Amino acid sequence: MSQNSKDASHDHDHPGHDSTNSRRDFFKNFGLFGAVAAAGGAAVYTGYKYEETKPGANFVRVLTADNRIIEVPKEGFKDIKVDLNQLQKQGREGLKGHRFVMVIDLAKCRNARKCITACQGAHHLRPHEYHINTLVMQESENTAPYFMPKPCQHCDNPPCVAVCPVDATFKRQDGIVLIDNERCIGCRFCIAACPYSARLFHWEEPLVVEADKGTPYNIELNVPQRKGTISKCLFSSDRLREGKLPYCVSACPNGVYYFGDENQDSVTNGTTKETFRLSELLKVNAGYQLMPELGTKPRVYYLPAKNRLFEFKEDKDPVQSI
Amino acid sequence: MKRYFILLIIVLFSMQLSAQEWVVAPAEAALKSPFAFTDSTRKAGEVIYVANCKSCHGDPGKNNVIQLVPIPPDAASVKMQANTDGALHSKLIQGRGAMPSFKNTLSSTDLWRVISFMRGFNPKYVQEVAVPTIGSASAQNVSIKLNWNKTSGQVEALLTSLKENIAQPVAGAEVKLFAKRFFGNLPIDEARKSDALGKVSFNFPKDLPGDSIGNVQLVVKLTDEVAFGEASAEANLTVGVPTNRPALTDQRSMWGVLEKSPVWLIFAYVLAVLTAWGFIAYVVLQIRAIYRAGSKE
Amino acid sequence: MASEVNTDFLQDKKLDSIAADILRPVGITQGFVVWMGFLGVSLMGCIYAYYIQWDKGLIVTGLRDYISWGMYIANFVFFVATSLVGMLISSVLGLIGFKWVKPIARIAEIIAVAFAAVAGLVIVSDMGRPERLANVILHGRIQSPIIWDVTVVTTYLTISILLYFLPLIPDLAISKGRMNHTPKWLQNMYEVLSVKWQHTPEQYRLLLKAIRILLILIIPTAFAIHTVTSWLFAVTLRPGWDSTIFGPYFLAGAFVAGSAAVVIVMYFIRSNYKLDKYLTNHHFDMMGKLLVLVSIVYLYFNINEYLVPSYKMKTAEAIHLHDLFVGEYALMFWSVQLLGLVLPIILLLFSFFRKPFSMLVISIVVLIAAWFKRFLIVVPTQDHPFLPMQYVPKAWMVYQPTIIETAITVGTLLLVIIIITILVKFFPVIPIWEMAEEQHELDHKSQK
Repeated sequence: MSQNSKDASHDHDHPGHDSTNSRRDFFKNFGLFGAVAAAGGAAVYTGYKYEETKPGANFVRVLTADNRIIEVPKEGFKDIKVDLNQLQKQGREGLKGHRFVMVIDLAKCRNARKCITACQGAHHLRPHEYHINTLVMQESENTAPYFMPKPCQHCDNPPCVAVCPVDATFKRQDGIVLIDNERCIGCRFCIAACPYSARLFHWEEPLVVEADKGTPYNIELNVPQRKGTISKCLFSSDRLREGKLPYCVSACPNGVYYFGDENQDSVTNGTTKETFRLSELLKVNAGYQLMPELGTKPRVYYLPAKNRLFEFKEDKDPVQSI
Repeated sequence: MKRYFILLIIVLFSMQLSAQEWVVAPAEAALKSPFAFTDSTRKAGEVIYVANCKSCHGDPGKNNVIQLVPIPPDAASVKMQANTDGALHSKLIQGRGAMPSFKNTLSSTDLWRVISFMRGFNPKYVQEVAVPTIGSASAQNVSIKLNWNKTSGQVEALLTSLKENIAQPVAGAEVKLFAKRFFGNLPIDEARKSDALGKVSFNFPKDLPGDSIGNVQLVVKLTDEVAFGEASAEANLTVGVPTNRPALTDQRSMWGVLEKSPVWLIFAYVLAVLTAWGFIAYVVLQIRAIYRAGSKE
Repeated sequence: MASEVNTDFLQDKKLDSIAADILRPVGITQGFVVWMGFLGVSLMGCIYAYYIQWDKGLIVTGLRDYISWGMYIANFVFFVATSLVGMLISSVLGLIGFKWVKPIARIAEIIAVAFAAVAGLVIVSDMGRPERLANVILHGRIQSPIIWDVTVVTTYLTISILLYFLPLIPDLAISKGRMNHTPKWLQNMYEVLSVKWQHTPEQYRLLLKAIRILLILIIPTAFAIHTVTSWLFAVTLRPGWDSTIFGPYFLAGAFVAGSAAVVIVMYFIRSNYKLDKYLTNHHFDMMGKLLVLVSIVYLYFNINEYLVPSYKMKTAEAIHLHDLFVGEYALMFWSVQLLGLVLPIILLLFSFFRKPFSMLVISIVVLIAAWFKRFLIVVPTQDHPFLPMQYVPKAWMVYQPTIIETAITVGTLLLVIIIITILVKFFPVIPIWEMAEEQHELDHKSQK
């Protein structure tokens, strides 16, 4: 654990780490738009960093969205701007025909906090700014403590969305609750309304400002983050659009996370990449939801911390460990 | 002193745990890499190691492993290096306790690359490369066809291979069936061997959701790559339950966008605002009337 | 309020003396300049504090992710609450037919206008992105209580301004020719604002009709404004806020705060303007009785709000209540409940304490307690979310208001005082025509 927090502060101290991240996101954004542009019939190659093979040659080298380096005739090369409106539109609509769910197996979590650092890296957050956090839980004095990763529950009856005055936070057709920081007025009513404490507010300038300058806002990544607005877990909807598992899910070394589509009744483990029937997984392991009595209808399920794979070891007081 | 005791307890505890054998079948322990370990395989292995193993096993030889119970051994340690290549390969596939199985995450080739990286820290290691067995198998260039047998409710795969341009059934080959899902392939039924006619029948669940008309994209794969080479087939069969669930945002609700707000709420809000501001407007008109009445005087 | 006005009072000699009494303090005096200068300079400091917040973000406040609503929101609730007294005194009591409220009604409306107007600003000071305020109209979702609040605060403010302005019109006309001691521009302003008032029966008829409509309209609006404000909390799932009596509980509390505010303003007007003849001991006595009445109603709601959950002690509620009763907030909680509610009720039952000065002291205590009561409603609930607060800096788990935050809050209070001062200093604070009419009727009756 101490090692992890050291890692985190390391990230914090070296903005170079973040700038590489943002560059990767930058390409990704281009990729998203590239798909749209290609569908429009224009044979354009996306990319922003290119170099000429030889001075005076009529070819330029371009990095494509799928990470290939190709050469394009100079005449055919066209600069395209990533369109904010397009990102906003697709981000608000969501993926048709899907209902995303997450299953968290508490028996496997040993508080490695890799999910958290992966998430914070992707979303340009500080070490204590959480889209997902791992909590030390204990139901009562006589029961055993356990670690519980806690992302946004992406409720089907989201109290946070209901109270938003400006439609800045909203639920998509695929169940994901997103936040539009181009719209948010920073009233923090959603923070007050969320029983899971799943939202964060940018009280000050976000961690990454300079490197994100000029990057069009991607609502599915919530980058660039913005001062005075809300941020929250997005189920990595930018990755889902590419058919990839969320950042936290793929980063977990212990197989804690399953992610999938309720409509397909299937979830895939982020560590082992094994796919299971959602209904069976929940049935066999007695899956449950967090505080279902509140009527929020979460899209995140938990499998009880039974037959645990590790010794519970709380290295430090979690209250003070940052 | 107290620390010493805790350490002692941990050591004893982990010894007891490690006393439980991590069993590797002799045939698997004897397995050898199909390729020779070189600098390039070590380099490729390092990338995989850093991504998948380092978080627990640390950097090889630096003894910076994570303190779990049992303690994950350093990759360069004597304990680790005492394993045969095949045993390492097997353990990576199996996993145990907190160590995950890499069966589905890493290909066999990638596993051998990781092992090649680990062996780079053992100067005494001498590699034995496996004798290529490919070619000696009973069939090569197997092709598979998938079918839906409505009467039995089973999905059938037919395995054939071309011998002198004539399709011959492939018998005794193990295949696995998967349904393609958004993030991965869902195993259906168990791995089964083809019969003498090259046929494999899979029981298919009756309640698996398909697309809007019940189509499910199926994938079938040969498991024994060594004996039969690589072969797989895909087919889109109407074997699932038609799934047409509406978008979650279809209903009117308190959390919906403005256009999806409850009708009673729109009605109540508009009525209240119009009433209040209607009276206010009326009062303002009265002020105008007062002004006019005064102007006449 | 009568539906017809006998305009004979205009010929009555008494009108001159009443008008002279009430109009004497109107205008710019040295005391006014010094007072406004003091307020203005202090406000500048507070505006600078807001500039810092604008520049650096809400990081300059003590608010963090867990306790994300603090002083600003408490202050907002306090302002909305205090402004409700305009409705209680001029509307409810006036419509029932209490004559003693006549000289106080305008003071109550001044308080209503000042607090309601600044309440909107208080909310803006709490926003992370104040420059996006227009989104509330451009992208408003009518499912959000904030939209209801914005709608209803605007409506209430408009009605309150009209209710202040309409009864003022005859006074503005009466003041014509009696304002020689005031600057010319003020007289011109009176001329414009008096909308050609000639005291004709037709004009009185129109005016009384308009006022009557507003007096009725303001009742549901005032109920709505504070009920909706209470819903900002009550619609959430948090223990301490998740309560069904929050609407009436807030309303009752609002009348306590508002009545106390009226008494304070009354006292200062009376002593500074020498208006003992109009704001008599009787008025303070009646206000004292009103304050006891609303305080007892509020006490009743307090018992409901705290006794019922503490009987059951549901886990999350129990943590919250423990914090209030014996924990971190115990001192503040019991001070507010005992000094700000129980003690005033006991004291004000005796006519001895319903004298102007003791009323002033009690009202100041009640008003300060009312502010802290709002703080106790807003902050402690957030201290104990359902899931534990972990792996965040220690400072994130407690709410400690900062100097900048306090300065901004003080600034909004200064703004309220400035508005009250301006309205009190530039316009007659007591309805001249109503006083004169009442006096005329009394004299007339006694002659008979």
